[in-house]
Amino acid sequence: MAVNDVSFSINEGETLGLMGPNGAGKTTLVNLITGKYFTDAGDIQFMGHDITKLPPYKRCKLGISRTYQIPRPFPELTALMSVAVSAIYGKDRENQSLEDAATEATHYLEFCGLFSKRNVLGKDLTLYELRGLELARALATTPKLIFVDEVMAGLNPSEATKAVRLLERAKEEFGVTILWIEHVMAALMKAAQRVVVLHYGKKIAEGLPQEIANDPYVIECYLGSCHA
Amino acid sequence: MELEVKREKLVLRIGKGKYEWHIEPRYWRNPFIYVGILIVLPIIAYFVYPTLLPTIINANILVAIAIPLGWMTVGTGRMNFGPQFYIGAGGYAAALCSIHLGWPPIVTLPVTVVTCLIFGLLMSPLSIIAGGLYYTLLTLLFPLVFLEITFIFTDIFKGDTGLFGVSPLISGGSFGTNQLMVCLLSLFIMLIYMFIVDKIMRSKFSASMAAINDDEEVAEAMGVNVKKIKIISFTIPAVMIGILGWFYAHYYGTFSGITYLPLSFMLKVLMVSMIGGRVQIYGCVVGGYFIAILELALQYLVGDYSSVVFPIILLILLLSLSEGLFGLYRKRRYREYLPTLHVRR
Amino acid sequence: MLTTIETTLIYTLLLGSLYLLVSLGFSLICGVLRIFHLGYAYIFVATIYLTWLFFNTLGLPLWLSILLMVIVQAGIAIALYKGIIARFLKMEEKIITGLLLIALIAQQAANRWYPIQSAVNLPTTIIPGSLSLGSTSISIQILLAALTGIVVTAIFVVFFLKTKTGLAVRAISYDINTAKIMGIQVEQIYMFIMVIVLLPVIIAMLMIAPVWAVDPTMGWGYMTTAILIAVMGGLGNIRGTIIASYIIGLTHAFVSFVIAEPRLMNLAALVVVIIMLIVRPQGIAKTESLW
Repeated sequence: MAVNDVSFSINEGETLGLMGPNGAGKTTLVNLITGKYFTDAGDIQFMGHDITKLPPYKRCKLGISRTYQIPRPFPELTALMSVAVSAIYGKDRENQSLEDAATEATHYLEFCGLFSKRNVLGKDLTLYELRGLELARALATTPKLIFVDEVMAGLNPSEATKAVRLLERAKEEFGVTILWIEHVMAALMKAAQRVVVLHYGKKIAEGLPQEIANDPYVIECYLGSCHA
Repeated sequence: MELEVKREKLVLRIGKGKYEWHIEPRYWRNPFIYVGILIVLPIIAYFVYPTLLPTIINANILVAIAIPLGWMTVGTGRMNFGPQFYIGAGGYAAALCSIHLGWPPIVTLPVTVVTCLIFGLLMSPLSIIAGGLYYTLLTLLFPLVFLEITFIFTDIFKGDTGLFGVSPLISGGSFGTNQLMVCLLSLFIMLIYMFIVDKIMRSKFSASMAAINDDEEVAEAMGVNVKKIKIISFTIPAVMIGILGWFYAHYYGTFSGITYLPLSFMLKVLMVSMIGGRVQIYGCVVGGYFIAILELALQYLVGDYSSVVFPIILLILLLSLSEGLFGLYRKRRYREYLPTLHVRR
Repeated sequence: MLTTIETTLIYTLLLGSLYLLVSLGFSLICGVLRIFHLGYAYIFVATIYLTWLFFNTLGLPLWLSILLMVIVQAGIAIALYKGIIARFLKMEEKIITGLLLIALIAQQAANRWYPIQSAVNLPTTIIPGSLSLGSTSISIQILLAALTGIVVTAIFVVFFLKTKTGLAVRAISYDINTAKIMGIQVEQIYMFIMVIVLLPVIIAMLMIAPVWAVDPTMGWGYMTTAILIAVMGGLGNIRGTIIASYIIGLTHAFVSFVIAEPRLMNLAALVVVIIMLIVRPQGIAKTESLW
């Protein structure tokens, strides 16, 4: 069972950190909430709607968006087009043609610092730019909730700091709620208001960052001497 | 619904949707000139060299088949290897109605549209559930099975010899003027198809189709309703291709599955888009005229052997031109999203 | 009633074993080379008509004709691989179109020089006459062909499971990049596979030719069956292909004898395969590999 009896809630406007060793089921949890997989049991409530049975695109239109751990750009589309797709289809918009969507996409690209790369194909971008593109694409759907999946993996320290600052600015400017999956403890502890820890598919701790950092069970799991 | 013509833009508003297109100011890229040439061509041929008219009709129809096929390929994200199924369905529907019920072409047209709509809707779920390769295989097999059915129910479909006695498209006037009218009709159909598909390819739909081609799952996570786009992209081109079956039936006056359903015809259509450089619209025109003229030339030059030489030449063209004839001219732009097939599981 | 069941069962086994020969090659190419050899139909046509060319038109003895035909076919297969497949490895629709064109050229060439009227007849009967199993009478040649089918498939399976080359082939079908890193000569194995899949078809065609009709368009019918079997069995999986062969054999026999409408054979097989795909989209195969 990849995810077993996990229950938690996330409040509007907060940053929730999701931690856990590799294989704990974090990405699977995100897949379940965004709709790639359907749950076997339990239900998901989002802003008053029950979204357990909805297909992924309807969940997106309600306001859930995500980035991918290994960036999945649209390889044959330029950065501008990729974000424009999200801008068009993220929400049901009136009066928006492809040109208008492209204009809006430039706004998100500039926010992520990718405006100069807007005509570069998805397959030609570097890793740091790809992560920026993932964020721009997710933001273009004007979500209320974003799942950010390991944004700092593979980046050198200066790029990593820039990425974290980008997320902070996104929160300020667009007012999104962020659920942040991360392995780099220092950044997560500073940025998150609450943290949930998963281990082998089960939730083993939830609370404020300092409590989690001092929880003996969590420490034991990360050092590897306990089994589910 | 409201259409606005600004100085360099065309804006269409339907309900809550807005679609915007540029009007091309540069004269050598302005399609109206080429359309003008295409219209003038059969008129000149009528006066100078009337035997060229069937070739021009053939060329126009080949292009008109390749254009919706291009839309179907991009929209569903898979290559349909059996578009001639709809030509068969449309043609037989039109022919049967015309022969047994005596309806004129105007009346059999809606019958064809409805028939192909039904078949298209029935078969469109395949584009959703079947993976790329399975879809290719099944679409390849459908026309062959259809052909077998026409042989089995010989009393209805008249097997090998086909149905004949279908009322002609345009009557009244001499044979020559009739042919000219039919030729202009074929050109008209082709131009309408070009217009429709071009406008779709320049609008919001093309962005979603490109996204689906690249990564279906991510596209769906970004809010694209993948199923709806695939079904639309399958059914409407199917109907468009079926209308050409109607045209064939009424133009030749006979319709036999053996001419259109086996692979030889499909390969011709495929080569039209491949020679045209895999571009959906304008390249097909080049490809279609090229193939029609090639067939004509081979008839004159090698006569009997043309059925063997023709595929050989097509093969040589396929191997030597990597981007097609039209691709030699066209520079690489970013909108090249024709899907590739992989033996996925 | 009982005789119908008996006939159906016997023909299931016969047809299933025959179809093994027909579909094994197609499935192998799908699983190993990861391309769709839609030109597979040309092999059927080329076998018969090349042999006829050497035997009848050039007057060579039968054994020499067959030998030359095999050599020429091997050459064509390698030329196909180098000329079309290796060049367009990333653009699959070009490969498929190219191979389809080859099949079309073969059919048109055969039609041009040896149309149906020229009564192509290969005297490759090993044992003439027919045999009665219970109350069904079957031609001994077909029975021999079926048995050969089982034997050839067994040889292939043993080859893939027990020999080093077979191991290399299986490795490639699992993961091509890892196989390359491990030092497996992928190009040579590809060419080897292209040549080796000719053999079951050649054997099948040579044995069936005197009994069943021969005409330039026959390649498509056999290829349709091969495609349906490969799709149902899971592309590239030998176990699945074997099971699917017998299922399709059963379908054909059922339609021919129980429903007594042999013209519906291909349609029935197509319906069965579509139902199978809806129920279990990955086919019969349990794994994604060769065996």
